[in-house]
Amino acid sequence: MKANAEQTKNQTAVQTSQESAWKHVTSFAVMIVLTAIAFAAVATNLVPSHLLVPLLLTLAAVQVVVQLYTFMHLNQKGSGFPVAFMASGIFIGVISAVALMILV
Amino acid sequence: MGTIVSILVLVLFLTAILTGGYNKKFLQRVQGSNMWDWLTTVDHKKIGIMYLGAGGFFFLIGGLEALLIRVQLFYPNNDFIVGDTFNQLLTMHGTTMIFFVAMPLLIGFMNVAVPLQIGARDVAFPFLNALSFWLFLGGGIMLNLGWLFGGAADAGWTSYVPIASNQFSPGPGVDYYVLGLQISGIGTLIGGINFLVTIINMRAPGMTFLRLPLFTWTTFVTSALILFAFPPLTVGLLLIMFDRIFGSHFFDAAMGGNSLIWQHLFWIFGHPEVYIVILPAFGIISEVISTFSKKRLFGYNSMVFATILIGFLGFMVWAHHMFTVGMGPVANAIFAVATMSIAVPTGIKIFNWLFTMWGGRLQFTTAMKFAVGFIPTFVMGGVTGVMLASPPADYQYHDSYFVVAHFHYVLIGGTVFGVLAGVYYWWPRMFGHKLNERLGNVHFWLFFIGFHLTFLIQHWLGLYGMPRRVFTYQAADGLTWINQVSTVGAVMMGVATLVFLYNVVYSRKSATAASAERDPWDGRTLEWAIPCPTPEYNFAQLPKVRGLDAWWMEKMAGNKELEPAEPLQPIHMPSSSYRPILMSLGFFVSGLGFIFRTIEVGVLGLVMVFLLMFTRSFEQDHGYHIEVDQIKEAEKGA
Repeated sequence: MKANAEQTKNQTAVQTSQESAWKHVTSFAVMIVLTAIAFAAVATNLVPSHLLVPLLLTLAAVQVVVQLYTFMHLNQKGSGFPVAFMASGIFIGVISAVALMILV
Repeated sequence: MGTIVSILVLVLFLTAILTGGYNKKFLQRVQGSNMWDWLTTVDHKKIGIMYLGAGGFFFLIGGLEALLIRVQLFYPNNDFIVGDTFNQLLTMHGTTMIFFVAMPLLIGFMNVAVPLQIGARDVAFPFLNALSFWLFLGGGIMLNLGWLFGGAADAGWTSYVPIASNQFSPGPGVDYYVLGLQISGIGTLIGGINFLVTIINMRAPGMTFLRLPLFTWTTFVTSALILFAFPPLTVGLLLIMFDRIFGSHFFDAAMGGNSLIWQHLFWIFGHPEVYIVILPAFGIISEVISTFSKKRLFGYNSMVFATILIGFLGFMVWAHHMFTVGMGPVANAIFAVATMSIAVPTGIKIFNWLFTMWGGRLQFTTAMKFAVGFIPTFVMGGVTGVMLASPPADYQYHDSYFVVAHFHYVLIGGTVFGVLAGVYYWWPRMFGHKLNERLGNVHFWLFFIGFHLTFLIQHWLGLYGMPRRVFTYQAADGLTWINQVSTVGAVMMGVATLVFLYNVVYSRKSATAASAERDPWDGRTLEWAIPCPTPEYNFAQLPKVRGLDAWWMEKMAGNKELEPAEPLQPIHMPSSSYRPILMSLGFFVSGLGFIFRTIEVGVLGLVMVFLLMFTRSFEQDHGYHIEVDQIKEAEKGA
């Protein structure tokens, strides 16, 4: 009974590691594409210059989320607190920064 | 150069003494002494007591400053303390009371109570806990050194630029403020992180988040506020330090800087700070009211929710300190509405306390008196808070004694009453005997009446036009009798504090072995299930928690002890360390170096800190174990 349970556990572990390997490859590809877009946007002059900085910042933000979730393992169980605290930190930081830009 | 040489000689002396340059026996005697034990301890209970002792000491200093201020304002045109000295007094009174009284006293209780309440043997990082304390103490001493060497800080506790700039505050006063706060701020930040990790990771089996005692919950939210609020202060202080010491121009409008940046940074920190000093007091009040009403806290879940909501909203309202700066009606309106919305969760708390008492078996011990006195007092402070939150009205109240009355109602009526309730409540847990209840009664009534006498009338003083932070007024202003009533009240509070000090001595002297009860208040939470005095490992076996008010549940089920969640086994303990106090000394030397513009000494102090950190990473220290038979013996003795 116990051995059986152990076996199933091992199998799931193998499955998840395969899954996460694919996930890593996909997100790596996504990140390379994002970086390529950023380079292309600057190099080709296709994007009007006043949109360039916002676009780059958005791409960077997406990169950060992808990095944190797949490579820093924030998608795994038990990382609720780090996510909550990072989110609150970013939220408070953004509010303070925006207010300083507008009000000062 | 001379400074460097003398400091090097001092360091060599200290090294010689500490490494046994005299002889081995001397060294052994030092290390066996009680003093050495306290200086190097990493035990959260001892650190908590040291926090309370140091905070109490600064409380006396800050209180003395307040009395001197009130004496100066007793007569119109008085010349007891005028001009710059008066500015130093009011600045140091405010700074001391917020940073070196309210915070350490509350952090002291967190240290004393939180690990016990969650069923843990210590905080997550005992070494860092000691470091937090010594950094706080170093910062506090540095701030007060200003009185002795070169003049204390005199730009107000908010230290607004350009008043705090070199041009308008020459001399080292503001430097003491900047570096003292910076050093103690590092300690506070470390402490906040420590408590977050402790509460997330060190709870006993079964102690789920919704079974945490409310004081632990408020500690948790407060620690999160510390984590997010202190970095803006650190940045602000660093900018001011660079402006003053290295000649930068962050706040100098003539060179393209902007002094408003300081105000924003200070209040982005400053408003969460006022919740940092009130939320733990809310927690203490919740524990005390629930214990002495013999009832479960009414609306526990909504209390937790309200605590988190207050913590969250605390970051959205800082600009209400700056309505008159000229941010424009839209910004003012947004911050006004956000501010008023905080009254909602606070109101939830007030009603929950009242409903906890409703129908309870009330016992008016001294702790309970302070808790019950807290409720109406804090409500009054809250109501004037909502009045101040309205920008058109704020233009009238701004910088008047109305504001002074408001924040003393929330800080004394809230924080200090909460702390005093906690002192009477947890005293038996810390020292093994109760404080005398009769003297406690005198203490409470003198303090309570003295407080309202001092500050209630200051609302009108403000409405009649007396500005804050001004050292005198004229007889024709018609403010004389109001100021005199206020001073009489302040003296009453001073006498009350003396009664308290006498109570501490008296209770200690009259304590017997029999007065060491483990559960003197018929408590509800885990800290009252531990033998008295608290063994250094807290729990011989970690307890299994079955619900909110875990100890009360066991008692109701007829159990004499908590149900253990683990077999009796050797307990792993962290070893004491002399490093925290030396690291703090390094920061202290560095701070003094920067204050006196001797950059070499400043760097030397930092080098000392980094050397201590570096050598620590090579130190093989796995702590030690308390063996099973030692535990058995200790438990039998207790």
